[in-house]
Amino acid sequence: MSDAPTGPLRADASIIETRDLHKHFGDVRALAGVDLTVPPGVTGLVGANGAGKTTLIRLLLGLTVPTSGHVAVFGTPVAKDAADLRARIGYMPEGNCLPRDQTAADFVAYAAELAGIPSTEARRRASETLFLVGLHEERFRYLGDFSTGMQQRVKLAQSIVHDPKLVLLDEPASGLDPAGRDQMLEIINRFREFGLNVLFSSHLLDDIEQTCDWVVMLDGGRLLRSAPLEPPSDGTAVSVEVFGDPLPLVTALTAKGVDVTHAGRVVTAASPSEDVFITVRDALAASGSSVRAMGADLRSLEDVFVAATKESNG
Amino acid sequence: MSSNDPAIILDRGYRNYEGPRTGRRGAMRAIVKEGYRRVLGLRRKAKGKLFPWTLIALALGSAVVMVAIEWVSSTLPVSLDTSDLFPRYAGYFDFISNVALLFAAFAGPQLLVPDRTHGVLNVYFSRPMGVRDYLVAKGATFAAVILSFWLVPQLVLHLGYAALSPAGFLSYLGKTTDILWKVPAAALVYFALHASLAFLAASFAKRVGTAAASFIAVLLGLNLVAVLFQEASSAPGARWTSLLALEQHPRYVRDWIFDLDSSAVIPAQAGFDPQASLLVVIGLAVISVLLVSWRYRRLT
Repeated sequence: MSDAPTGPLRADASIIETRDLHKHFGDVRALAGVDLTVPPGVTGLVGANGAGKTTLIRLLLGLTVPTSGHVAVFGTPVAKDAADLRARIGYMPEGNCLPRDQTAADFVAYAAELAGIPSTEARRRASETLFLVGLHEERFRYLGDFSTGMQQRVKLAQSIVHDPKLVLLDEPASGLDPAGRDQMLEIINRFREFGLNVLFSSHLLDDIEQTCDWVVMLDGGRLLRSAPLEPPSDGTAVSVEVFGDPLPLVTALTAKGVDVTHAGRVVTAASPSEDVFITVRDALAASGSSVRAMGADLRSLEDVFVAATKESNG
Repeated sequence: MSSNDPAIILDRGYRNYEGPRTGRRGAMRAIVKEGYRRVLGLRRKAKGKLFPWTLIALALGSAVVMVAIEWVSSTLPVSLDTSDLFPRYAGYFDFISNVALLFAAFAGPQLLVPDRTHGVLNVYFSRPMGVRDYLVAKGATFAAVILSFWLVPQLVLHLGYAALSPAGFLSYLGKTTDILWKVPAAALVYFALHASLAFLAASFAKRVGTAAASFIAVLLGLNLVAVLFQEASSAPGARWTSLLALEQHPRYVRDWIFDLDSSAVIPAQAGFDPQASLLVVIGLAVISVLLVSWRYRRLT
């Protein structure tokens, strides 16, 4: 890391903090000036393939060195003592990481020993963790005989067996069928009650919506957004689909001083300061527009991501 | 709960761990233990045990047979010096050299290749350890496995000969104390050569079989090249090709350690001292360490 920090890294409120983080692989820019603060809890790391999610995770583990900028976990700069930090971090890689010739119990116990847990305790914790992920009955089967869903759960088990304070999950639901995906998300949801902090990388926005309370969005190595995952609607926006021309309604709403956007025949009105439903009702009466559908503006995480991407691209 | 109560499965949840952590040293110990199990096929399916234990049985069996022959000859009415007929400590290295070569060709790649091809390196390096720790632990495992392979049968030989010695058990042990450093020293040279080449092959090959075959092909192929050059070429520089007979260097150093005649060894025929052979082995070991380290740093 070449740049000096511009100020002290906060150690109190954040689990992860990066400042002006850049990572280049030759001419390829994987991360570009990422300033990020992630609070405790379950955080989603969202982005298309190639957005820089895995690179960010590898930087957090100290497995790769930033081109410039700073990265800290639990308030400790990763560059200072990556090995010590890794004892408190669990990691579930996206790709395969399981030896085919070991049993699940042996491998998870081995993973615990690699993190410094003494042998006897490692075996006990391996058994408990495999129970937790629903593989207690299968723990003495060889990993080469496991289905993809079972292998994903073993990967999850090895990432938490050593009682980490932060778990980095890289596409944990990758390759799973819908039922397997639901089971995986259910287990991750339980991490919250175990007091584990999670950074959960995925390009499936539904998965993030189901599990996370904070979301970090990356696109092309740039940070689009790092914010709490809000409920779908906060009641300050209304969408109206009209029959015919939407412009009279748009004009009426604009005259009443609310923010208006429209796409086709769908008009969205937003106003944090007054009851937007009453304003829309009055505007509809004034403009004489006929309503086809009307309701609270239900913005999904995908809408937020698309909007943030558009905004970032100008 | 009485014995008549129905059994119930409790969700035990997740337990935090507040006990001691063993750190990097503990992680390295775990790698050595697991590597030993992998090579010997322990806690693996039966087919994983077949090859290593066949070779171990051959090595140990040879030692047991030699001791048995010594015992039989000691019961004959005529005095028979079996050391002229069957190898003792130094000769035992030659006697099982092919078996040992196969074992090293199998063990080295077993320690490195599956971790890489199955993606397990991702787990290792997300733990509190680095590339150096990983490679040192793997090297230590290989040393433990190979030295056990050489030294345990030698121990059987030594104790067997001592038990059958007409001078008595303790007297024999007392007279042969030099064996206690000569055999391990020779085994260490064999290990250094085998480990260097086996780890190099294992660092680049994608399959255990490919790495093992490359290891054996390089050793035997270079030996053949050296022999051909020795026999066919009279050019002054041809002498140096004798150093390509890698498999002969540990043998030459072993003969030096045991103060034996080395006239049949190719580097000796070319006029090199045993120290030159030792330097070749050390040089190979250094090159291997550098190349394997470079390879793994690139991988991670």
